[in-house]
Amino acid sequence: MAEIRIENVFKYFGKVTAVNNVSLTVHDQEFVVLLGPSGCGKTTLLRAVAGLGLPDSGRISIGNREVTYLPPRERSISMVFQNYAIFPHMTVYDNVAFGLKMRKADKAEIDRNVRRAAEMLHIEEMLERFPSQMSGGQRQRVAVARAIAIKTDVLLMDEPLSNLDALLRLEMRAELKRLLADLHTTTIYVTHDQIEALSMGDRIAVMRNGEILQCDAPTTVYDQPANKFIGGFIGNPPMNFLLGQVQRHNGSLHVQVGDYALKPAPIYDSELKRYDGQQVVVGIRAENMEAMSQPAEDALQVRVMVVEPLGSQTLLTIKIHEDIIKLATHPDFPAVPDQDIWVRFPAEKIRLMDPQSGKTLLSS
Amino acid sequence: MTPPRRGKTNLTPYFLLLPSTLFLILFFAWPMFQTMVLAFRGEGVILNLREAPENGAAVTGQIRQSAQVILLGNRGIPVAAPAAVSGEEEAPSETGEEAASAAEPWYLIRGLDMANQAFEGWVPASYIREDEPETEGGPFTSGSVRRRDRDVRSEPGPISPVVAQVAQDTAVEIAGQRTVEIWYEVQGQTDSGETVTGWAPSRYLEVLSTGGEQVTGFVNRGDSGEWTLRYIERMFADREFIPALITTLLLIVLILPIQFLLAFIMALLLQSRLRGNTLFLYVFSIPLATSDLAVGIIWFSVFTQSGFLNSLLQGLGLITSPIVYLSVESKHFMILAVVLAEVWRATSIVMVIIVSGLQAVPESYLEAAELFGASLWQRVRYVILPLLKPSLQVALILRTILAFQVFGVVLAIAGRGMTVLANEAYRWYVEFRNPNMAAAYSGFILLLSMITAIFYLRSIRTQEEARE
Ligand SMILES: Nc1ncnc2c1ncn2[C@@H]1O[C@H](COP(=O)(O)OP(=O)(O)OP(=O)(O)O)[C@@H](O)[C@H]1O
Ligand SMILES: [Mg+2]
Repeated sequence: MAEIRIENVFKYFGKVTAVNNVSLTVHDQEFVVLLGPSGCGKTTLLRAVAGLGLPDSGRISIGNREVTYLPPRERSISMVFQNYAIFPHMTVYDNVAFGLKMRKADKAEIDRNVRRAAEMLHIEEMLERFPSQMSGGQRQRVAVARAIAIKTDVLLMDEPLSNLDALLRLEMRAELKRLLADLHTTTIYVTHDQIEALSMGDRIAVMRNGEILQCDAPTTVYDQPANKFIGGFIGNPPMNFLLGQVQRHNGSLHVQVGDYALKPAPIYDSELKRYDGQQVVVGIRAENMEAMSQPAEDALQVRVMVVEPLGSQTLLTIKIHEDIIKLATHPDFPAVPDQDIWVRFPAEKIRLMDPQSGKTLLSS
Repeated sequence: MTPPRRGKTNLTPYFLLLPSTLFLILFFAWPMFQTMVLAFRGEGVILNLREAPENGAAVTGQIRQSAQVILLGNRGIPVAAPAAVSGEEEAPSETGEEAASAAEPWYLIRGLDMANQAFEGWVPASYIREDEPETEGGPFTSGSVRRRDRDVRSEPGPISPVVAQVAQDTAVEIAGQRTVEIWYEVQGQTDSGETVTGWAPSRYLEVLSTGGEQVTGFVNRGDSGEWTLRYIERMFADREFIPALITTLLLIVLILPIQFLLAFIMALLLQSRLRGNTLFLYVFSIPLATSDLAVGIIWFSVFTQSGFLNSLLQGLGLITSPIVYLSVESKHFMILAVVLAEVWRATSIVMVIIVSGLQAVPESYLEAAELFGASLWQRVRYVILPLLKPSLQVALILRTILAFQVFGVVLAIAGRGMTVLANEAYRWYVEFRNPNMAAAYSGFILLLSMITAIFYLRSIRTQEEARE
């Protein structure tokens, strides 16, 4: 059992609050991805869990044992550093074997584990090389191999695939996921890359300015972002945002965008009452809008500005009222610039948010 | 667009090469070369005997410096300019400066000797106190005998036959003057035992006795040099050589491990970012600013009979009468005192080098090592020490070379009670005025330093190099 509990952790660097009241529980054998823009405190949080930068306040425990102020070696953790930190004076083999050697494993076991890790990361040909004789991506793989060569309760990875080419990253992603499932370790995985986050994580914790904004399953984070920031940060293209006005028609509330009246899903009803007559932000993902070449009921007529065929889908840039948004359609959809099309907004896919705080209008 | 020309030589390194080469030659190679030449070349150890009393005459034989010779005769060879008397004219260039410097004015004097007999003969001008000449600037015509009774000789030359003896203060007439360089006809033995005769200028010879039939003397110094291993052999055979070498090596063996251990611990302490560690740095660096002789004197004053240590022990009531620490009988104690002083003095230089090396070791390596389970000792052993290798190498080379030159501290603490190599070089140069032997010792120190430097450079190579 190695559940990681992070409770109300703060970490300051001078005036900067790098980690701001973070609480997060990573269940035993769970794979949680920390996702957030550069400088949001992902590394700092990870280092606090590793014991490399002690938090200024708060509590961290691993498997029912409080470790907040324990040195790293007493925590049963392994880590891939963002800057690799592989030892320049050792061969790849010795680097990968380092953790095992420190644990005084016997030669055969070291050799077995080193070769297994090296094979997994496709560096078995380079075991005799020194880090200075390798490319950045190869060094990164050595760092990952070093981390997975030892068996620990917790594995912390700080952007372990950031330097690999797209193809290798794709392959590595799947392999890492499989391996980690086999190892039964509890993993915190830091990344910038939302695709990586969505595809690998059991849950995604989205961070901004030292805070965790939302921690949910990938589909939840994608479809039901807790706020505007997450919607805009995750997904390619990002979520579209339209400014609308809450109005009451025939006793029911709906959101007026230009001359188009949106009927939101019933779950918003209670919150929407408080916004009667005020502005709200309407969030909708590009692929969740229905585009039609013929006029239809409930559909809004819009003009196509740009057409971007992407292979698996075609992106249309359209203008609704004041806002310019992106719309994903099937590649077969006939569209040319300056053409009029009709768009429908499915009520269950619409997210409504407060224009000031960006928070989703859901009383949770 | 013109493609970049291939093979265009880059001149910048050559511009840099020039000043560095010049610097090396001027301040390093040339003086060192000169010193080394001294160790292998005896300048002025061979005296050439010539067929006739002139510089260009054929050489009849060679006699070694300090060999005993018989002086068969002398001749005053006139030198064109009377250098010593008027002193206003330059010596003629053809005879060269050497001849001019050896030139000596003689007076032909007339007067009455001690037996009241009239005489005429030659004396060195320095024997005569001249009267003022009648005309301003004119030649001296009369004078009196200076200070004591003098021999008057038939010819200019210190071993020419004596014609008269003239008493002190006798008034004489100066009838003539000649500036001469004295040459002796010499009989002596060459290295191979052959007897040779020939002429040599007087300045190379020392006259021992003028009485009796034979005038004897010895070769003061020669006029030409030779390449020789004599100084080296003499150094190895020197009574003090082995003790000096052993003491030097012993000091290195004792001091270096202590120093490196201490310096390393001090450096780690400074790196640990404890509060007030800059203060430590300053305190540790004080000895850096102290001269080695001063350090020696400080420690000497600790260990003397009435020194700090004795007064402390007496004050504590541990001893009743002062202990004599530094005496020839207690060599081990002297060595201990020198080790203490050297450790105190030179550990900080090692520390400073190690600290700068440690600062170049990125924190993340240590963090990674710690994270992967390395204890403090394992971090030192597997990460810090290997990454510090270049700094350690520099520190080792520097310290060992400096240790071969240890001098001031030993001199101050042990005096002549203990000797090291540099001490011997100093002694030969200053006490025995023998630059050749001093150069031999210096050369030996240089050789040892170079060997150790090369040894360190080759043995503590980084692993990358070793694998290639
Ligand atoms: N040692 C430090 N001293 C001072 N400020 C620091 C230090 N380390 C991090 N910070 C600051 O703390 C904040 C969080 O940094 P952190 O390294 O955790 O970001 P990150 O999310 O890992 O970013 P990235 O994705 O670029 O790696 C940043 O504003 C950074 O400037
Ligand atoms: Mg980071």
